Amino acid sequence: MTPTGKYEALAQSESPDAVVVLTASGEILHWDAGAEALFGFAPADAIGRSLFDLIVPDSLRHEEAGRLAVAGTEGTVTFESLRQRKDGSRLYVCITSKTIPNPDGGDPLILSTKKDVTQLRVLRDAQRIESKFRDLLESVPDAVVIVNPAGHIVYFNEHSQRLFGYTPEELKGEPIEVLLPERFRAAHLAHRVGYFSQPRPRSMGIGLELYGLRKDGSEFPVDIGLSPLQVEDTTLAMSAIRDISVRKQIELELRDKNVALEKANFAKTQFLASMSHELRTPLNSIIGFTGTLLMRMPGPLNEGQEKQLRTVQTSARHLLSLINDLLDLAKIEADRLELELEAVDSSAVLHEVSETLMTQAEQKKLQFTMALPQDSVFLKADRRALSQILINLTDNAIKFTDYGSVRLTLARRADSFPKQVEIRIEDTGPGMRNEDVARAFDPFTRFGVGDRVMKAGTGLGLHLSQKLATRMEGRILCESRLGHGTTFTLVMLEA
Amino acid sequence: MAGRILVIEDDPASLELLKYLLERAGYSVRSAPDGATGLRAALEYSFDLILCDLQMPELTGFEVIARLRSSPDWRPVPMIAVTAYSMPGDRESVMAAGFTEYMTKPIDPDNFLADIDRWLAQAPGSGTT
Repeated sequence: MTPTGKYEALAQSESPDAVVVLTASGEILHWDAGAEALFGFAPADAIGRSLFDLIVPDSLRHEEAGRLAVAGTEGTVTFESLRQRKDGSRLYVCITSKTIPNPDGGDPLILSTKKDVTQLRVLRDAQRIESKFRDLLESVPDAVVIVNPAGHIVYFNEHSQRLFGYTPEELKGEPIEVLLPERFRAAHLAHRVGYFSQPRPRSMGIGLELYGLRKDGSEFPVDIGLSPLQVEDTTLAMSAIRDISVRKQIELELRDKNVALEKANFAKTQFLASMSHELRTPLNSIIGFTGTLLMRMPGPLNEGQEKQLRTVQTSARHLLSLINDLLDLAKIEADRLELELEAVDSSAVLHEVSETLMTQAEQKKLQFTMALPQDSVFLKADRRALSQILINLTDNAIKFTDYGSVRLTLARRADSFPKQVEIRIEDTGPGMRNEDVARAFDPFTRFGVGDRVMKAGTGLGLHLSQKLATRMEGRILCESRLGHGTTFTLVMLEA
Repeated sequence: MAGRILVIEDDPASLELLKYLLERAGYSVRSAPDGATGLRAALEYSFDLILCDLQMPELTGFEVIARLRSSPDWRPVPMIAVTAYSMPGDRESVMAAGFTEYMTKPIDPDNFLADIDRWLAQAPGSGTT
């Protein structure tokens, strides 16, 4: 064997470059050991197939076809481009294609050598970035990693070093996937290829749980913002990476706290519900037996006994309404009061209210009147809640008025959109001071009237009524002047 | 004369009130201080009307009516649920359980007897005094 022959065999088997022979249309006739090492395909997988299908990314097929044509016409062509391996990863190659005669006769063939220049490109891109953007990239508060279209790291700022534990030298030219936990790598490769086909600024994986991988093997949750970075002829991808461990930790703690709060709130509502039941049970016999005594079932009563029993009865009923309001309020606060908003005939509800309270007004010798429109007015309301509000407002009006009248008026608000309806409850009672009007809807408000305090506070009634009105998309307004009576106006939407 | 009424109620004061009102009106009243006693009485004796508290320890009013309805010895009579708080949806569940009516505590002595008369009159084969 000639010395030349000895080296020739070595050169053929150990060449770091790929040597490929193709037909003019790109069919692979020869695929050497260098090509296998570079692209991952064994000669048996490659020979007979189209070069385009094997290693040319879809977006570069057109370019490759053009270059082959140039080789055909001009004899030889040299260029740099992106190719893909069997595993989908990409690399930069410097390609020289040359037209050669066909040993079997027939159409000429093409001899193509491909050299991996990825690291060269990385160094070149890194240099370009550093000269142009270094100060900017080191001043941003996030870890910034810049990747070329082949997915190799070309820039790694100081924040990134601290975040991931690598030096820039260790990572320059490495695939970006080394910074991801193993389980995300395959999917990331696919996303990365997709990103370069349509690069635009976006945040990565909104709603996804993304993790980074440190040099020491530990993982941490991250938020990533991506944007394309044009450097001369190359579009790079810049990722700004933020460690969100602390935020995640706080989120988890908040979630736990919310669960605990919900439990506590539920327990509170349960407690109030059972407390309400326990409080009402003894009231049953208090109110009941007061009633039987006042009905004189056991025997006659003298004037003093009757007066005192009436006081017991009034106080017991007041206590009962407080307990009921308290439970309703607890349910509203816990969002457990289920209101069914439907079209409610307001005049039917107002007639019920007047029937319920007429006697009370008559007992106080008050004039009790109601003014309704001719036609029916339907309100968007929950029937029970609407009735509860109107009874509360009317009952207050009667309770606080000693002389004169209580008047209920229903009217549509002119020019309102959406259409609103007003129910006014006007009394000729003592009226309220301005400061009392302002806190009329606070719980347990007691109103001072001149030098005396109103005998019964409103307790929770107005507070609860306002909450109920709000839940039905309505509201209650209060107008009053000392010595000139009070008007409460319930404003609701017409159904 | 007026009918026989069974009152099942675990609060002694409420039981006393109901018994007092009903006896004053001339009804014959048997009282049961808990669900189990009430259940036995309802199956053993015959009544024209049963008033039954819902919230009772051990056997609740719902359990009492469920057991009565599944018993072969049960001869149905109107059953009125007596409960301390009315919440939306309560009435539906009470009626669905098989009660004839629903009455909320505190009871109002003024209307109570009129209600009892009305329910007795509705009872099949009864109300003819």
